[in-house]
Amino acid sequence: MRGLNQKVLKSFTSCLPYIRMASCILLVASLMMIDRVGAGEPPRNLPPDLTKLSIEELMKIEVATVYGASKYEQKVIEAPSSVSVITADEIKKYGYRTLAEILRNARGFFVTYDRNYSYAGVRGFGRPGDYNTRILILVDGHRINDNIYDQALIGTEFPIDVDLINRVEIIRGPSSSLYGTSAFLAVINIITRSGQDLKDFKGVEASAEVASFETYKGRLSFGNQFKSGLEILLSGSYFKSHGKHHLYYGEFDAPATNFGIADNLDGDKFYNFLSKLSFHDFTLEGVFHSREKEIPTASFGTIFNDPRARTIDDRGYLDLKYDHTFSNQFNVIARLYYDNYYYNGDYPFDYPPITLFRDFAWGQWWGWELKITKTLFERHKLVIGGEFQDHFQQDQKNYDKDPYLLYLDDKRDSTVWALYLQDEFEIFKNLILNAGIRYDRYSTFGRSTNPRLALIYSPFEKTTFKLLYGTAFRAPNVYEFYYQGGGNKSNPDLKPERIQTHELVWEQYIGKHLRGTASVYHYKIKDLISQQTDPMDGLLVYNNVGKIEASGLELELEGKWVNGLKGRISYAIQQTKNKETGETLTNSPKHLAKFNLIAPVIKEKFFVGIEEQFTSKRKTLAGREADSFFVTNLTLFSQNFLKGLEISGSVYNLFNKKYSDLGSEEHVQDLILQDGRNYRVKITYRF
Amino acid sequence: MEKIIISYIPVSGLIAWLDMGVNTKLMPERLNKVFRLIVIFTIGIGLSSVSNASAESQRSREYLIKAAFLYNFAKFVEWPAEAFKDGLDTLYLGVLGVDPFGDALDSIKDKTVKGKKLVIKRFTKIDDLEKCHILFISASERGNLRNILQSLNNSSVLTVSEMEKFAQLGGIINLITIENNIHFEINPDAAERAKLKISSHLLKLAKIVTSGSQRE
Repeated sequence: MRGLNQKVLKSFTSCLPYIRMASCILLVASLMMIDRVGAGEPPRNLPPDLTKLSIEELMKIEVATVYGASKYEQKVIEAPSSVSVITADEIKKYGYRTLAEILRNARGFFVTYDRNYSYAGVRGFGRPGDYNTRILILVDGHRINDNIYDQALIGTEFPIDVDLINRVEIIRGPSSSLYGTSAFLAVINIITRSGQDLKDFKGVEASAEVASFETYKGRLSFGNQFKSGLEILLSGSYFKSHGKHHLYYGEFDAPATNFGIADNLDGDKFYNFLSKLSFHDFTLEGVFHSREKEIPTASFGTIFNDPRARTIDDRGYLDLKYDHTFSNQFNVIARLYYDNYYYNGDYPFDYPPITLFRDFAWGQWWGWELKITKTLFERHKLVIGGEFQDHFQQDQKNYDKDPYLLYLDDKRDSTVWALYLQDEFEIFKNLILNAGIRYDRYSTFGRSTNPRLALIYSPFEKTTFKLLYGTAFRAPNVYEFYYQGGGNKSNPDLKPERIQTHELVWEQYIGKHLRGTASVYHYKIKDLISQQTDPMDGLLVYNNVGKIEASGLELELEGKWVNGLKGRISYAIQQTKNKETGETLTNSPKHLAKFNLIAPVIKEKFFVGIEEQFTSKRKTLAGREADSFFVTNLTLFSQNFLKGLEISGSVYNLFNKKYSDLGSEEHVQDLILQDGRNYRVKITYRF
Repeated sequence: MEKIIISYIPVSGLIAWLDMGVNTKLMPERLNKVFRLIVIFTIGIGLSSVSNASAESQRSREYLIKAAFLYNFAKFVEWPAEAFKDGLDTLYLGVLGVDPFGDALDSIKDKTVKGKKLVIKRFTKIDDLEKCHILFISASERGNLRNILQSLNNSSVLTVSEMEKFAQLGGIINLITIENNIHFEINPDAAERAKLKISSHLLKLAKIVTSGSQRE
């Protein structure tokens, strides 16, 4: 044991100059501050006499809150994580079209698009081809990651129309102590708008968008709150994009493959439907989304420029929630849900002969969750929860259409039980200890227990320090366990991946309008599930073999002014290493910088939104380097020139920069060129 | 002094738990010494600075703002003449339930509103309730809300709270947070039943809410 301690100590001290330095600063700062705050002094950034302010001015003062970090509403400052919140207002004024674009602008995040799906990376980790399994996405608390691939869908495949989002909470770090699997690197909690939101305008909202590449989107929403207390939100959207007419890929530049030009193969379309009914303590939410994308890249060795290549993803769920607060600050939330997921990929191959390979997955599950929150002895806020999921269908199937050859027809089912506990202990008014732990039991691989500890200390009203430690796991999914055929074999002995994170965060309110965040972290991933080739039979198989270590520093400054001026600037530096090879990970940018600004041009009526993103070089799978790049987006937004009307015009990639994202194992292309300058005009009208 | 001793119980429990690396499923690697040292140091510093200062957290910032709102509500609401029968120059503001304001109400205590002095009173139970012009009902009383509103039944009390659906259930003003700012909902029917006149200035800034269920 002592030997282990020495080794751990050594690796800690050599790999964590950041945390040591930061903690020294923390100690010195605390020592200096001890005598300076006297009893009864008024807080520094609020004016001394608030009663002199008018109500309008009071309504403009900031108080930031977040729901997802502890599964109840709490102040961002007290959340046991480093949290960012993006509001509906920002979504409109920056012209965000998808959740992927929202994430692109979050500190420390980077998104890769391969003309099929969008993949999010955070804290330097975003391996090409990983289906976002290490980020948990929740919509109103409901898990979106499916039960076949565990994929977090973030592009046009995301099941909710971005216009219906009230806010997005990005909770960084491991949260398996509350949510179980997939809450590995971050949890993204999306909260939808309520029916009441729309009521002000008699309840109907219609929106239409026209954009480059023959893109159209229409949405019709209806919301109301009735006298009986019933609140309703119904919305349907339809999106269709022709995509780029011609996409050139040098790797296929030969007469036989149309000189590398994929014609009319970038089509993307979806339709979705959302309904939310809430009555007293009950809320019933139903969502269905179907998305189809043509694939122009000839991924997986398919025939280049063949119009049959496409993927379809359908995602739907029904979630019934009961939320009641009894007297004595005792709250119960019970949830019952049903989910389904359908995937179909059509891949034309020329083995020979030329045939269509059809790939399918069907997932269905139902589950319940019970959560009890109680405040004990005035200082302890206790959360106890239990969850059960019955994945009664986890089927995968694939075959060649003609001549018919069946490769895989796998039917599975599994169950998950979990119990979690969290205590938010207010040791003093300015010192909180947040401790949580969750026990998961999977019928597939067994057990996983994950703790999280956070010490949150506010020496002053404007300053908060958070010291965080947590572990998280990612359960191997049905695809990694059982997929076989066509050069792959299964591995039912897979274990979950584990991550252990240490983090130190400093949040500081500066003056009346600014908020700064500095965070330093270090994480270790082990048992990473990676695909390898078995030397015995040359087949591809998933094994628990990866070991990753990373550290990083993130800085952010956010400002909000009374007249509507809002801005954010962030910088993240990270270093990731594959412990097996000693090399930096692929697709891991060392630097990420972002700048956003919303400026009111005509008070409350006309705004300009500017975004600037910088991503540094990334190592590709072929060992080359993808260039660093700057992207600028500009949106002009107007509201209420005519009552109830919002019009916006956006230019994305304003300076027409040529930049590429990385291809993954399934692509011949090492780099995939992204879109140049493109436009969108959007009109929303409330009746 | 006792604060320091009391806080070391959970802290040492925490450290003992961290030390408990035996069950490898609970913690794959032992938490190392340096990190623990940092934790202890931070707690130590925190404790010593806390005994000197009365530092305020984000929570009190929010309640200072809400206290200012209550002061403003007093300015823009008119009570019927008989509400001041017993004490012409005093306006009573009561807090029912677990008081979330802490010191924040001191910022409006004894201030004058429309010639009347603002006096704060605190009640833990509805049975203890004395005459108030404004009654702030704490979120802790959520489970008892129906009883509380019924017992106030049309007396001229301006009921204010910060719990979900307060206004729909018959409360008069509900403080809500929208996108990091504090706003408020007003139920004008409830105000009318309490014979209170709310200035149009206040109504304009509020979100108007109708009662969810009509119960007479």
